[in-house]
Amino acid sequence: MSSQKIAVYSLSDLKNTTDDALPNYLTSLKFAQSHLLTDVRLALGYTAVIIAGATFYADWKLGWDATKYWTFWAVLVYFMLNGVLTVWIWGVEKGTVFRGEINHASAGRNTLSISSSVTKHIPIYNITVTSTDPTGRETKTQLSSPFTRWFDADGFFIAKPFQQWLAAEIPLIGQVDRKNAPGGEGMVGGREEAMAVVVEGRLETPRKGGAGEMMPPGSTRSRKGRKG
Amino acid sequence: MFSTLSSLQPRQFLTQILNFALVLSTAFMLWKGLSVATDSPSPIVVVLSGSMEPAFQRGDLLFLWNRGLDTQIGEVVVYNVKGKDIPIVHRVVRRFGGGEQPLKLLTKGDNNLADDTELYARGQDYLERSQDIIGSVVGYVPFVGYVTILLSEHPWLKTVMLGLMGVMVVLQRE
Repeated sequence: MSSQKIAVYSLSDLKNTTDDALPNYLTSLKFAQSHLLTDVRLALGYTAVIIAGATFYADWKLGWDATKYWTFWAVLVYFMLNGVLTVWIWGVEKGTVFRGEINHASAGRNTLSISSSVTKHIPIYNITVTSTDPTGRETKTQLSSPFTRWFDADGFFIAKPFQQWLAAEIPLIGQVDRKNAPGGEGMVGGREEAMAVVVEGRLETPRKGGAGEMMPPGSTRSRKGRKG
Repeated sequence: MFSTLSSLQPRQFLTQILNFALVLSTAFMLWKGLSVATDSPSPIVVVLSGSMEPAFQRGDLLFLWNRGLDTQIGEVVVYNVKGKDIPIVHRVVRRFGGGEQPLKLLTKGDNNLADDTELYARGQDYLERSQDIIGSVVGYVPFVGYVTILLSEHPWLKTVMLGLMGVMVVLQRE
């Protein structure tokens, strides 16, 4: 994925490549990805398509008069499934690119859900991160970053700054991926409940990408010492 | 969790295929939905001959309605002749029966000298309303169906169109 060159002026190319890189990175950190959202979408969609296909075949083989009654029900069910599919995509998936959980040695069982979006013609990647800690408390964070942070001028995706961005901004990821988290090993730890607290942090600017843009301050307090 | 066994790639592939299949199937099901609503196997037809001029020209797009089987004299209907594939658009000039009896119709093209008995199947003197008619004309759009006439009468046009599309695909690639 990251070796593929894309057109840097194509917003959908930028977003799609980034969307693909996100689950790749997180699964490499031993996040267990849940495909439930996609699976439901595929099940709804393909059921509808199979109904349409069966209607087509029956119409072709038997003709209109013989299939009239069942065509009515097929059309009804087809468009109902389409409606549910639309609701599912807009109301439930809402641009989710990753959903999964991790059973981390120090942090316990956490769930993580990330949805992404872009505004037309604005090359900024927006993500909404929802995480649940072992006590069931939900944290919702909205982050944005220009694509220039992880795409070079030739249109190659550079994984490192992208991962650093996520590890720096999302406490749960920072905890698991100490190598990419800012200040990694030497942080003074808080307690577990403070995991999601964002404090003014000592943060170096990333080494790659991001010409001229500001990196918003923000770091995490995490449990000290142990490597994820 | 069985879903973690496979990676995202096949799902992305399946999603792409699904998007394409949904476009096709939605078009087909909209057509079928229109069929169900109008109770007609083919609710939109293109006029192929000039036999109904000046009411309808060749290439006019007709919208049919097949509910309410009590067709009156003067209505324009589309019917299929047994054993022939092409639907015909003509006006009802006589009706027999109706009510308790099965309704039978005789049709004639406005621009034709004689009625349609010649066009009907061998031994058939009238149309059965419930069997032969696929709908009454309730609306039309002039001329937009002419493309289909051109394509069916001049098959080489299809080749030209395909060629043009191919050239455009080639030219658009950088």
